[in-house]
Amino acid sequence: MIASLARPGSSPLHRLAAAPKLAGLAITATALFFVDDPRLLATAFALGLTVARSTGAHFAEIGRDLAGAAMALAVLGLADWLLVDGATALAVVLRLGAIALLAHAVTMTTTTAELFEVLERLFGPAERLGLIDAGRAALTLTLAIRFVPLIVEEAQAIREAQAARGLDGSVLALAVPLLVRVIVRSEAVADAIDARGFPPERAATAPPRPPAIRPEIEADTP
Amino acid sequence: MTTRDLGLVALMAAVIVALGAVPAIPLAAGVPITLQSMGVMLAALILGPRRAAAAVSVVIALVALGLPVLAGGRGGLAVFAGPTAGFLFGWVPAAFVTGFLAMVLEATEKSTLVRTAQLTLAAIVGGIVVLYVCGIPWLAFVVEIGLAKAFMASLPFVPGDLAKAIVAAVVTVKVRQAVAIERK
Repeated sequence: MIASLARPGSSPLHRLAAAPKLAGLAITATALFFVDDPRLLATAFALGLTVARSTGAHFAEIGRDLAGAAMALAVLGLADWLLVDGATALAVVLRLGAIALLAHAVTMTTTTAELFEVLERLFGPAERLGLIDAGRAALTLTLAIRFVPLIVEEAQAIREAQAARGLDGSVLALAVPLLVRVIVRSEAVADAIDARGFPPERAATAPPRPPAIRPEIEADTP
Repeated sequence: MTTRDLGLVALMAAVIVALGAVPAIPLAAGVPITLQSMGVMLAALILGPRRAAAAVSVVIALVALGLPVLAGGRGGLAVFAGPTAGFLFGWVPAAFVTGFLAMVLEATEKSTLVRTAQLTLAAIVGGIVVLYVCGIPWLAFVVEIGLAKAFMASLPFVPGDLAKAIVAAVVTVKVRQAVAIERK
């Protein structure tokens, strides 16, 4: 399974429900794009640091989590400084840094299950319009998470089989049989889900149901 | 969509995630070439427009759910405000256009070489042109460098993306010889 980036804890942000956190983040992040004053942006950045630290994570941990983002930000800041000017570079780095810290604070304090619920609620209107089926969408997300280790497993199995036959295996020699095998397995999983009658298909498109067990056969079983 | 469609959508989403775990080639100090955009091309060429767009939407949803599914273990909401978010959201139209072109262009009776060329073209138009059209304006806006400079900054990625389009097309032709999947 893939481990979530969320961490357990009991900070105020952990206790806050997922929906207001996400709404707050979206509003703050959008608002920051309309702010150009470096003093305000520096305040936002400091606020981001405070909020991220308030989750109980140490600065070292936060730094480790956001190392990739920080490096990209440094490159962008440098590019801005050389191509535009220092003030723009500072504003961009402070703004994106503040948003990254706030967003990471939400990610750290909200479990995947909580976010899932919000996502399902967001599907609601689209579901009522008949555009989407929340149950089936949720199933697809769950399946995707489950399929990742399955793909890794299959890749290892193919590699081992090829090594046993004395083959080194190019990218193509791995990719093609791997995709074929996981496609076949995904279809088997789908058929198994159908056989269990989940998720309930919506009317009209429902496949013909398998015939029920005949009563006389049922009667024969003790 | 049938349950098999959902399974295929989930599977190709998982393939895109798994490709993110393949070590990236660092380019231009910190901005890596990853194989995930090849995963998007593969999903589109194999599944066709609608299911491919669904598959990349699944990956984007997993990012939003705080799972480290992007290359280098990136994930979480910070990605959506980052400078490359346009390239992430651009996956949806990119996958749709690639899949649509694959569906329209590829005719089964032609030679393998011709089909590979057609699918490569589909992957280039959808997976590179459409994707960059989504990603570059966002990059220019967020970093405040202007469209021209954002375009120049994206150019170093083009050769790698062209190679990915060719590999995705070759793999797709071979995979579709083994399993019959109707594009839709």
